[in-house]
Amino acid sequence: MTTLTHARWSPWSMTKSLGRELLPFAVGIAVWQLLSSLNIWPPVLFPSPLQVFHAFVADLRSGALLTSLGVSLKSLGLGFLVGALIAVPLGYLMGLNRASRDFFDPLVNLLQAIPGLAWIPFAILWFGLGQGAVTFIIVMSVFFPVLHNLLTGIRTVQPVLVEAVQTLGARRMDVIAHVIFPATLPNLMTGIRLGIAFGFRSLVGGEMIASTDGIGYAIFNAQQYFQSARIVVGMLAIGITWLLMDRFILRPIEQRTTMRWGLMRDGLDNT
Amino acid sequence: MMKADVSEILVASAISKTYFDPTFGENVHALNDISLSIKAHEFVSVIGPSGCGKSTFLRIVAGLDRPTAGEIRVSGNKVTGPGADRGMVFQEYALLPWKTTQANVEFGLRLKGVARAERARIARRFIELVGLAGFENKYPHQLSGGMRQRAAVARVLANNPTVLLMDEPFAAVDAMTRQRLQEELTVITATERTTVLFVTHAIDEAVFLSDRVVALSGRPGRIVADIDIDLPRPRQWSELARDPRFQQYRDLLTAKIERTGAHVEAHS
Repeated sequence: MTTLTHARWSPWSMTKSLGRELLPFAVGIAVWQLLSSLNIWPPVLFPSPLQVFHAFVADLRSGALLTSLGVSLKSLGLGFLVGALIAVPLGYLMGLNRASRDFFDPLVNLLQAIPGLAWIPFAILWFGLGQGAVTFIIVMSVFFPVLHNLLTGIRTVQPVLVEAVQTLGARRMDVIAHVIFPATLPNLMTGIRLGIAFGFRSLVGGEMIASTDGIGYAIFNAQQYFQSARIVVGMLAIGITWLLMDRFILRPIEQRTTMRWGLMRDGLDNT
Repeated sequence: MMKADVSEILVASAISKTYFDPTFGENVHALNDISLSIKAHEFVSVIGPSGCGKSTFLRIVAGLDRPTAGEIRVSGNKVTGPGADRGMVFQEYALLPWKTTQANVEFGLRLKGVARAERARIARRFIELVGLAGFENKYPHQLSGGMRQRAAVARVLANNPTVLLMDEPFAAVDAMTRQRLQEELTVITATERTTVLFVTHAIDEAVFLSDRVVALSGRPGRIVADIDIDLPRPRQWSELARDPRFQQYRDLLTAKIERTGAHVEAHS
């Protein structure tokens, strides 16, 4: 993150920072290759980087990889949208209205202790095996981090900001629109980022058990046929997709809102 | 009840305040029977030792706190809550971090529905008045403490309040900046003919700025002195600090407050 934000945009510093970011991956692959060259374990237990690369090319050519990824990302997107669309209004309602907070707080506290994946049995009963069940699990995983961070944001709005605009003539709706909402945007962004991260984890688990499609199912299926290299391809695809999403979509959005206002909120970031 | 003099723009009648302090689990008697009238264009400071309730009094005038007894009237209207006629400048600036200087200063006018071009014009005038021309498009975190407080003053003045309320506005800036801000404030409020109610714990600041200084005793705060400050304007620290009358006012107020048994700071 620091390298991205503070590097000057000269070709040399870009090459240097790119090199610094790729180095750990290069070392990781080298160690991996070394270990598999020692032939301690059979390839089915420990496939080599080269085998994984071949499996990757094959899955890419056949279109299987992108198809499963597409299915997964669609579930993630839909699950996130539904989860956030419930969590955000509920968060503002709870944050701004004492009675609704008193009512929902105990429920939310109980339910947020239940991992998204614990909903798998009911997801299957209600939606059957398939992406519907997976989407439901993602909704349950996205909902709580978004709600929790939003509530934290509303709770930590500086009272003096509210009072200052009140002495400028602001009514309750003005306070919500011009103080509460912008003040909670950084927390909302953090919540959204965490929500997608949680949703992504549940996605893979959910697809392994509750679906017949998607990247999680692809990994599970490869294991059934002892295609270990394809398992690694799926795992790496998940990791790389997350990295790309986080780096090029989520972090830039989060940083744009916090940096411009000079509000760095370290410590909230716990992914 | 007395009929209010029309020139008395702010009238506080028998304000008392008792509140429950959850930290110590006890009731605090903060203010005791404060009656005070302020005339239009008057600069009045309220001073007193820490915890005497002077800020509570200001918050009651602002409508941010409710008195236990008594009432505040501004231009004859009873205060029931915060409003644009009583704009307040806080010690912690309280600018909206996501708005530029220009947008912050325009904010009150925007709430009133003033047209875009008109409010931009008014805001520019007040930004210039407080010496922030050229910083219109900066965000608060890009400004120094002194500049932020200038912006906060411009924000309230642009909204044309009946009375400008200031709660220890210069307590958080360094000593050099504070003196300059104090000098600037006397010039601005004189040219704008602003009515000001200013709260501070620093006696010299109160004497320097004010037409009138009201001193409160230690808790529960009650008025122990109400003194007109008859010093020439415009005021400058380089002259006033050596003026024997300035010293006399300071000593007089210090004595009045100390007689109540509270320790006060003569210097800010």
